[in-house]
Amino acid sequence: MPILEVKNLKKSFDNTGVLDDISFSMEEGQVVTIIGSSGSGKTTLLRCLNFLETPDEGIIKVRDDVLFDSRDPGTCSEAERRRKRLHFGLVFQSFNLFPQYTALENITLAPSLLAKEDGSIDASGIRNRAVRLLEQMGLSDRMGNYPHELSGGQQQRVAIARALALDPDILCFDEPTSALDPELTGEVLKVILSLAEKNTTMIIVTHEMSFAHDVSDEIIFMDKGIIAEQGTPEEVIDNPKNERTIQFLSNYNKGNA
Amino acid sequence: MFATVTLTLFGGFLQTIKLFLLTLLFSLPLGLLICFGSMSNVRMIKVPVRFVIWVIRGTPLMLQLLVMYYGPGIILGVNIWGSGDTGRFVAALVAFVINYSCYFSEIYRGGIQSIPVGQYEAGEVLGMTRSQIFFKIVLLQVIKRIVPPVSNEIITLVKDTSLARVIAVYEIIWEGQSFIKSAGIIWPLFYTGVFYLLFSGLLTLLFGRIEKRLSYFR
Ligand SMILES: Nc1ncnc2c1ncn2[C@@H]1O[C@H](COP(=O)(O)OP(=O)(O)OP(=O)(O)O)[C@@H](O)[C@H]1O
Ligand SMILES: [Mg+2]
Repeated sequence: MPILEVKNLKKSFDNTGVLDDISFSMEEGQVVTIIGSSGSGKTTLLRCLNFLETPDEGIIKVRDDVLFDSRDPGTCSEAERRRKRLHFGLVFQSFNLFPQYTALENITLAPSLLAKEDGSIDASGIRNRAVRLLEQMGLSDRMGNYPHELSGGQQQRVAIARALALDPDILCFDEPTSALDPELTGEVLKVILSLAEKNTTMIIVTHEMSFAHDVSDEIIFMDKGIIAEQGTPEEVIDNPKNERTIQFLSNYNKGNA
Repeated sequence: MFATVTLTLFGGFLQTIKLFLLTLLFSLPLGLLICFGSMSNVRMIKVPVRFVIWVIRGTPLMLQLLVMYYGPGIILGVNIWGSGDTGRFVAALVAFVINYSCYFSEIYRGGIQSIPVGQYEAGEVLGMTRSQIFFKIVLLQVIKRIVPPVSNEIITLVKDTSLARVIAVYEIIWEGQSFIKSAGIIWPLFYTGVFYLLFSGLLTLLFGRIEKRLSYFR
């Protein structure tokens, strides 16, 4: 059974279609990478999965749980969103850490609030887990620092730990290294690779082609709101068939040369 | 003489401080309410609130004091403020509260709107509720940003309280001026400046400390 199923997802802004009939599915432990030129709808797709945008049409299913079905108004209610979005985690391009909290507090804030609502007050459990996550990110010596005292790469790793702390089924990344200086992208990509090795289910939007090649089980090439080509890295990156994919990758290679 | 003058001026200054503190007590929270009104998605709320803000910020406070005190008597035919010193003080207080709430509301609005949407979205994807996002994430960042403009406004208020004398609220300048008639001396009037200076100096120190307390993050 696929962990995620997206069916016929459509989204437009002011009558301009941005996502036009997107369907795909992925298995638990898989890494799917989305590539495509600017404006093709990659961010919008991730935002729909995380309920930051409401799709106009379509179905989003995690395991057997229908999280969203445009034809079933019951699944679209504001009140239910909160619980449903916890199936997903999202790492933003611009980190969006909370500046008034330390690295550790950034991670424990949301789990503590949720635990309080559930009536369990396992503060030390939440803290220990956050400490472990930061260690895993290579930040054991930065736990008490505030975001402005951290480099971009360190901030992004805190943001990844923050998303992981809620145990999402699927962790989404929207160009996690685009806001970083080139010398800092490596440390973030390394962390994501290590998550892939631990079979973390991830959807990654990135422009780092060689990283995408290494980390992904599947590549989705998006063009103008549709999935133009989909397959293994060998198929899509090494031997693209679609005209637009070929063009996109050759532009990309030119830019890199 | 110096002692008598100091004592009299101090009496007037107590009135000034009373007006100052009560204005803050009411206008700081009322400003937040007006701020939410001015950012409302409901046109029926937003438009009238913005109109009131425009009127209050677009006319002199001195005129608002006069209208507040004499207006109801002229329009309704009764003096709703009651007679005597208390009535005039209450009228002045109401005018100050309305005026400063509007200014504070605009500062709050600027502060709230300056918080990047990414902060809200990060809270949302972490499953936080709207009120959790406001109180746990946004509020302190807003406070940090509005401390400088709010403290500016508060120091202006210290000096603006002197306008209350146009409806004969006996604040410190009124008392200072009264020595011209009663004793033929003008220096008490100038001496009032010392009181203002000391008080605003004290406030400046206080706000400096608050800013410092909030400087641990950016
Ligand atoms: N809130 C919005 N309102 C109106 N139009 C929007 C909105 N969000 C996105 N769009 C439009 O939708 C299209 C797709 O945007 P999206 O951000 O999903 O692209 P992208 O593939 O992530 O691009 P990039 O590689 O530049 O990040 C763009 O044309 C964009 O202008
Ligand atoms: Mg994007």
